Amino acid sequence: MHPILGRIDRLAAYLAVWLGAGVLLAGLYTRFGLGWIEALALLSPLFLVYAFVCLSAWYVSRATPLTTSSILRVLLSSAAASTFASALWLALAQAWIAALSMTAAFAPAADRYAQQLPFMFAFGILLFLLSLAFHYVLLAFESALRAKRRQLELEVVTREAELRALRAQIDPHFLYNSLNSISALTGSDAAGARRMCLLLGEFLRNTLDVSARQRIPLAEELALAGRYLKIEQVRFGSRLRVEQRVDEDAAACLVPPLVLQPLVENAVTHGIAKLLDGGLVRLDISQSNGSLVIVLENPFDGDSGGATARAGGMGLDNVRNRLDAMFGRDARMDVRAQDGQFRVELHIPTDLAADLRQTNSAGAAPRPAISAEADPRVRPIEEP
Amino acid sequence: MRLRVAIVDDEDLARTVVREYLAGIADVEIVAECANGFEAVKAVSELQPDLLILDVQMPKLNGFEVLELVGRDVAVVFVTAYDQYAIRAFEVHAVDYLLKPFGADRLSAAIDRVRERLGRGEALPVRQLAADGQPAQDHARRILVRDGPRVHVLPVEKIDYIQAQDDYVCFRCEGKEYLKEQTLGELERLLDAARFVRIHRSFILNLDRLARVETGERENRLAILADGRRLPISRAGHARLSALLGQ
Repeated sequence: MHPILGRIDRLAAYLAVWLGAGVLLAGLYTRFGLGWIEALALLSPLFLVYAFVCLSAWYVSRATPLTTSSILRVLLSSAAASTFASALWLALAQAWIAALSMTAAFAPAADRYAQQLPFMFAFGILLFLLSLAFHYVLLAFESALRAKRRQLELEVVTREAELRALRAQIDPHFLYNSLNSISALTGSDAAGARRMCLLLGEFLRNTLDVSARQRIPLAEELALAGRYLKIEQVRFGSRLRVEQRVDEDAAACLVPPLVLQPLVENAVTHGIAKLLDGGLVRLDISQSNGSLVIVLENPFDGDSGGATARAGGMGLDNVRNRLDAMFGRDARMDVRAQDGQFRVELHIPTDLAADLRQTNSAGAAPRPAISAEADPRVRPIEEP
Repeated sequence: MRLRVAIVDDEDLARTVVREYLAGIADVEIVAECANGFEAVKAVSELQPDLLILDVQMPKLNGFEVLELVGRDVAVVFVTAYDQYAIRAFEVHAVDYLLKPFGADRLSAAIDRVRERLGRGEALPVRQLAADGQPAQDHARRILVRDGPRVHVLPVEKIDYIQAQDDYVCFRCEGKEYLKEQTLGELERLLDAARFVRIHRSFILNLDRLARVETGERENRLAILADGRRLPISRAGHARLSALLGQ
């Protein structure tokens, strides 16, 4: 589709410019002895027609794109097209003059006009070349626009793919072991087996739900991580101990979904599960200077070298990359493995917290499920 | 024949379900329940079970490492939730395994096959299975040595040198010596070649312990260690040492 013919607003603007050029030339013609009325009557229909002729420059610009054609080819095709167009214009002008000269009022003008033929021809070439240049600019502009749109689309697709991957990231190991725990509980503790089924169902459903959203309240993310930990506590028993401290107002902050859960999963699978006696997963969430600060600590098996830190890379990298993509330098993730303790610290900007209050009034965030009665500092999060 | 079984899994509930299933199988006696690999090695040494029902993923000592330490003394049925490496190795070497969660009939069938095997006196390809069942590492980070019921974990950086002694190798580590049934050639392949050099037919040396090289009479060279100990260097060993030290 022609970029100007296809859009009525563009066509109007284009014709207005041409009208200006017509008036300009009419002004010049008055100097050659034509009256304003004669000049305008002569030139305005010609300019109107030539405006459309010059739209054909689009086909020239498309047939010989600047990026792929040689300069010689561009020059030759521009020269040929502009000469042809101007010659056509000249022929039309002569026919128009001939028609006009039939009327008594315009007969004298015809003679004077004939003297201006070479000038008219040159002006026609110039106008066509200008139109061609304009079309080249238009073409470049449109292709830049297209490239930008394509890149945006690509980003959207990438993000979607990432989220899909995240949803699929529910560790098969986790799933099968949980099912095995349920199988074991069925024999001895039917109520426990049912509790575990419910927890697992809620965890899977929540994971799918939140991953479809852009931002969720931290309270929801905490609930998800809490369910994960409860399930793992059934498996690991007293080997997995959990302690958490969450600032009251932090729970209302908006965060990208699945920023915390993968870290907690990492702490369990690469930390606690590799220790004979397990250990304590400690979560501390606070707010400072417009940032949400999440600190997660867990012991790990130092004997297996850096393997623990590196093996945890997958989940951590995913979180880091997504924070990078969303917040750039405003978000930060520091990872440290030292003296058998693994520590992840996240900083996420919280300027979006205001939006949340509206979201929350519509539907309350579910209560997080991490229990930690032992520590007096720790208490379940209230609904914001 | 009554089958004496030890259940090895770090998860309490996982042991519970196996115990429950085994109760329904005739002529089976549970002699031990072990929550980790160290307990498993101890149980094998002290109680001599016929069969280990052995979880693959466990802390510190995984199922394959336990197998390497006790594999010749006992039959094994592996259990795993999801481990592509391990499962491929089990298939390749036709080893019995169970995927969590499994039913009583699966366990029963596996035990039947174990009885057949025990009758035929077949042994597991222990080393091969352990090598294929775990993701390849560049080189070993630690050496496991079994000493009766005990397992010693020797971090490689703490080993001074290794000496061949008949069918065994002797690790010199923090002033103590540990014997393991293995060949020096095998060890040479396992260890980091940039750190451990075969300086002699009977010696692998940790380069960090080397103080200097002395040349004695008739071109006989000796490695002098930081603690003053002296080890012989063969002609080929000296070439390898020189190449590594860039001389």
